[in-house]
Amino acid sequence: MQALQQVTDGIVAGSIYGALALSLVLVYRTTGLVNFAQGQMAVVSVYLAWTFLDLGMPTAVAILLTLAASLVIGALTERVLIRRFERRDPLIAIIVTVGILTFGNGLIVYIWGAALKPFASVFGGHDFAAGSVRFTANDLGTVLVLIAVVVVLQALFQFTRAGLAMRAVADNPESSALSGLPIGRLLMAGWALAALVGAIAGVLIAPKVSLQPDMLDTVLVYALAAAVVGGLDSPVGAVVAAWILGVAQNLAGTYISFIGNDLDIIVPLTIMVLVLLVRPQGLFGRKEVERV
Amino acid sequence: MNTPDPQSSPRLRLSRRSRATRGLLWGSLAIVLLVLPNLVDPYVDLQITLIIVFAVAIRGLDIVTGLAGQVSLAQSAFFGIGAYAGAYCVDRDWSAPVGFVAAVVVSALVGAAIAVPAVRLRGVAFGMVTIALPVLAVPLAVRLRSITGGSEGRSVPTITAPTWTGLADDQWHYYLVLVIGTVVFVLIHNMLNGRVGRALTMVRTNEILATSLGIPVQRYKIFAFTVAAACGGIAGWLYLIPMGFVTPDALKFTLSISILLALVIGGLRSALGCVLGAAFYVLVPNVTDSSQPGRSLLYFGAAVLLVLIFLPDGIAGAIRSVLRQFVPASWNGGATSRHTNGPTDSRTAQPEPPTASTVSTHTPTEGDAP
Repeated sequence: MQALQQVTDGIVAGSIYGALALSLVLVYRTTGLVNFAQGQMAVVSVYLAWTFLDLGMPTAVAILLTLAASLVIGALTERVLIRRFERRDPLIAIIVTVGILTFGNGLIVYIWGAALKPFASVFGGHDFAAGSVRFTANDLGTVLVLIAVVVVLQALFQFTRAGLAMRAVADNPESSALSGLPIGRLLMAGWALAALVGAIAGVLIAPKVSLQPDMLDTVLVYALAAAVVGGLDSPVGAVVAAWILGVAQNLAGTYISFIGNDLDIIVPLTIMVLVLLVRPQGLFGRKEVERV
Repeated sequence: MNTPDPQSSPRLRLSRRSRATRGLLWGSLAIVLLVLPNLVDPYVDLQITLIIVFAVAIRGLDIVTGLAGQVSLAQSAFFGIGAYAGAYCVDRDWSAPVGFVAAVVVSALVGAAIAVPAVRLRGVAFGMVTIALPVLAVPLAVRLRSITGGSEGRSVPTITAPTWTGLADDQWHYYLVLVIGTVVFVLIHNMLNGRVGRALTMVRTNEILATSLGIPVQRYKIFAFTVAAACGGIAGWLYLIPMGFVTPDALKFTLSISILLALVIGGLRSALGCVLGAAFYVLVPNVTDSSQPGRSLLYFGAAVLLVLIFLPDGIAGAIRSVLRQFVPASWNGGATSRHTNGPTDSRTAQPEPPTASTVSTHTPTEGDAP
């Protein structure tokens, strides 16, 4: 029953990719940008969580503080940096996010150093077994938290005025502004929310990879692939795609001897390229039509 | 990004005086570069050699990002492929020119293979496909031990200066890299100042209009990406001359990011900008990482954000506008050689709207190659 174990591991890994992919989708939906710094901003949040825990705070308090700080980081990033480049050349805006990625990495090295730091799971260290399939409390927590986040986000976008307003701004910023929506604040909210979801992803994966300045670089690549495969503007699509990628990666790494564990990153990237060729808008995305 | 205002940039003729000034500037730079190795110690030689190496890689990226307007995070992969191809040929006892051709051909082929599916996507998605290349290349290089030497990489014997030159090895390396780098820059300059440069500018500024004018947009993007890949390959091969080794680290996408940021700091669409960006990339870690490795990233990130906010055309753009303040007389603004028709002509390939079109139509060799 090794296959079942691989599928389980794949879903757990996919849930991490999915969480970061969700924050990419949030930013894309609001600002129409792909934020290459999303992972690095999350890493800053995790280092903050580590600091709070290191100061002896209870886990719940430390995590809540971290999430609050992430909201502030996201909002400030949008307000101070991205706002200057919005609705202008998207090339420059993307390079700005790459700049933030590099700056964040350097900042972490500057403040916390480059050495590995252990990070305990917020769910404790229990192990479970269902039949022959083994998983940790952190694995279970990761999947459940991700599902909760998707449900909350979907509800936010579908059933609240704020969510409706954010969709309107993403869809047509000019008309939204004319009908009185506070565009700037809504974009800030989008970035803040994205940073929050990113921080959740970071805290969930930290026990597996230990804390280091570039701990989410690879995860970011998977998350990008998941977001693209799911269709950049679909939260549910991103999560489903992330699970598909995680499971495919684990199965291929185990059963295709050429791929193995060292080359298994080839699987999600190949799927991404194939999906882009066949269906550029992604599995769940809407096709963009541009009027000339 | 500041695209030139069409109103202020009709086709202007570069006056004789300004042409002479330019020639003098580049001539004196050439003399400085030629005599420099005799004046400085080997360490400085090595630093300048590396600046030229990375300037070639950055200039290549400039064709995709600056001219065609697409973010590419694949440049490190081509750099690594070029270096590996060169090292493999040395290992096989093939001559250096064979290694050079292999570096160019292999990296260009890989570039074209990635570009063909990637250009089907507009905007951000292109950048995301290109990130796949370095991410895949690193584990692949570790795996293909017989070609790449696995995780330890490959080293090549030091190239020694021929005795007739009377040069030290580091001086010989410097001259080799300088000559090849200059040739690459001149070739790119000539290419961009003609039809190709104008077509790419059109593709970047208004893709729909370009299509409707019959410019094969996708073919130009593939072409730009392939040339960029070839430049990356050349830079990787050049890197072997002073350094003598290549490891999978050369392929990492962190190098791609550094190259992209260096390009923006130096200034997009400018040969000078590419050189300045390369200097920034090579020199800043010497200063900042002496106390703590990895700290240069902080300065790199901060520099690029500050440059984008305050100097949208990079350091080269800032230098140009300062120069223009002091030598306004050398630009003869009245003589229009041909009237513009729409945004095509006013936004030419060169960063400097007044000079670009005239240089392109009259004297393609003159200009900002080093």
